[in-house]
Amino acid sequence: MNSSIINAATSMHAMQRKLDLIADNIANLNTAGYKRKTASFEELLTTLKRQDERFAQDGRKTPLGFTIGWGVRMTQVQHDMTQGNIQSTDNPFDLAIMGNALFEVVTNADGARAYTRNGAFQATINAAGDIVVTTVEGYPVVVRDADGAEGPLLLPAGYNLLVDEAGRVSAMSPDGSDIVPLGRLKLVEPTRPDALQLVSDNLYVVREDVDAAEVLRDIAPGTDSDVRLAQGALEQSNAALETEMTELIMVQRAYQLSARALASADTMMSLANQLRV
Amino acid sequence: MLRGLYTAAAGMIAQQRRHDTVTNNISNLNTPGYKQVNAVGRSFPEMLLHLTGIEGDKPRKIGAVNTGVFAEESLSVHIQGDVYTTGSNADFAIRSDLQVPGIRFDSSGKAVDDNGNVIFQPQAFFTLQDRDGNIRYTRNGSFRIDNAGYLVANDGSFVLGTDNNPIQFAPGTSLDRLTLTGDLRFVNDLGADTGAQLLVSVVENPNRLVSAGHGQFRLNEEDAGLARPMAADDRVEVRQGYLERSNVDAAQAMVDLISALRAYESNQRIIQFYDQSLNKAVNEVGKV
Repeated sequence: MNSSIINAATSMHAMQRKLDLIADNIANLNTAGYKRKTASFEELLTTLKRQDERFAQDGRKTPLGFTIGWGVRMTQVQHDMTQGNIQSTDNPFDLAIMGNALFEVVTNADGARAYTRNGAFQATINAAGDIVVTTVEGYPVVVRDADGAEGPLLLPAGYNLLVDEAGRVSAMSPDGSDIVPLGRLKLVEPTRPDALQLVSDNLYVVREDVDAAEVLRDIAPGTDSDVRLAQGALEQSNAALETEMTELIMVQRAYQLSARALASADTMMSLANQLRV
Repeated sequence: MLRGLYTAAAGMIAQQRRHDTVTNNISNLNTPGYKQVNAVGRSFPEMLLHLTGIEGDKPRKIGAVNTGVFAEESLSVHIQGDVYTTGSNADFAIRSDLQVPGIRFDSSGKAVDDNGNVIFQPQAFFTLQDRDGNIRYTRNGSFRIDNAGYLVANDGSFVLGTDNNPIQFAPGTSLDRLTLTGDLRFVNDLGADTGAQLLVSVVENPNRLVSAGHGQFRLNEEDAGLARPMAADDRVEVRQGYLERSNVDAAQAMVDLISALRAYESNQRIIQFYDQSLNKAVNEVGKV
């Protein structure tokens, strides 16, 4: 019957989801390492009302059949991995990535991995009394030693952290006389951003149906990639208020128009009900 | 019998269809590559009324009457939508202004030749193949690479290359590292050709396209000859990092919405008037 009502309701739902997404981006305007989420819309399936041969009259431009659309849906959320601005913080535990790469962190005792752009790390003392470099949430950052073995970044007590632009980590004694190499930060490049899923705390995991090795490419800055690291700096969110506000206005107005269409369809149903007064 | 009662009812149904179509246009205000649809109405076949039952006389002609209207076709308006930047290498937009020798198209994409025939401007489309092997055409160039390395559209349909096969890249290929050249070949960041070339199809009369949902169109079997691969001298450009906005005019949509509603209301009033006439005929004529 009244497909206008169904159509408008479906579309308002889709636009509401897009508004939520924009709100999320705006809320994270100042979150270090945040990547804005994007999604566009896609038309739903359409119904083709059959018309028989007698409908093929002179002056008709289209093939037989009358198409009825059923609204829109929001497409899968993707992450816009473009570079955010780099802000200097002078904190040696703050690392910023320039280029398309992610830090790898370990999120549980079983060695589950997650990936992040947020380089606001800190020194944490673990149960064994070692100083480990972790994210703010306490997830250890993965480094590779000279043999390529992966492990946490353990900092000798009293030493300062040094990271060069190629991701090589070393520890320096307070007087600068002793420098201990600690390996190299593990960086991966996401080849398919849509295979990443944002979980929480600005961490991405690889979707369960895809193989992590296929969508993440190991990179070594300075040799096979133009990715660079900066110590004492943080990458700001890449969400820009002006873009988000423009989208907000467009989606909100479209929502409003759909609501008007719904109200109008409601009036039509009311008119049909009043046929016999 | 009161003939107009059914005429007005047909009018209500036709306006309802028009309203549904406008609502769908409004819903797709922000859908990339969406083409506005207009519901076109047609009057019922003309009938010639005769006065009959006059003794010894030939039936006398009264005149022609159409006893209703119906929504005949849903006509997509295939004019170019605005192209906007998304910054994503996975987005592609077609800008086309295809010409036919000796014909000048107006801004609505049609032209009238010397014999009075209306000719519609050909349009360019990305060519997709759905999972059942059917060919689809779309202007929504929001693609991604799937698990098997295929370039696919939002609904998982394959994007076809000039060899009429789905475009497939080596596993681990990122669209961020691929650039589309002017002749629609994908080259990687080292400048090496990946061997994939995007197939853009030109449809001679875009009105023959039937909507297949998901922003895609198909051609009926008898119209399959209307599509051809793009030629080198066609005025078609594909831009990477851009999408084509929906070509729905929001202000026009609002006006159409109101006019459909009010026309529906007028038809409803007519039915009420007929009802009153019937009421009089049934209950008052011959009342003692």
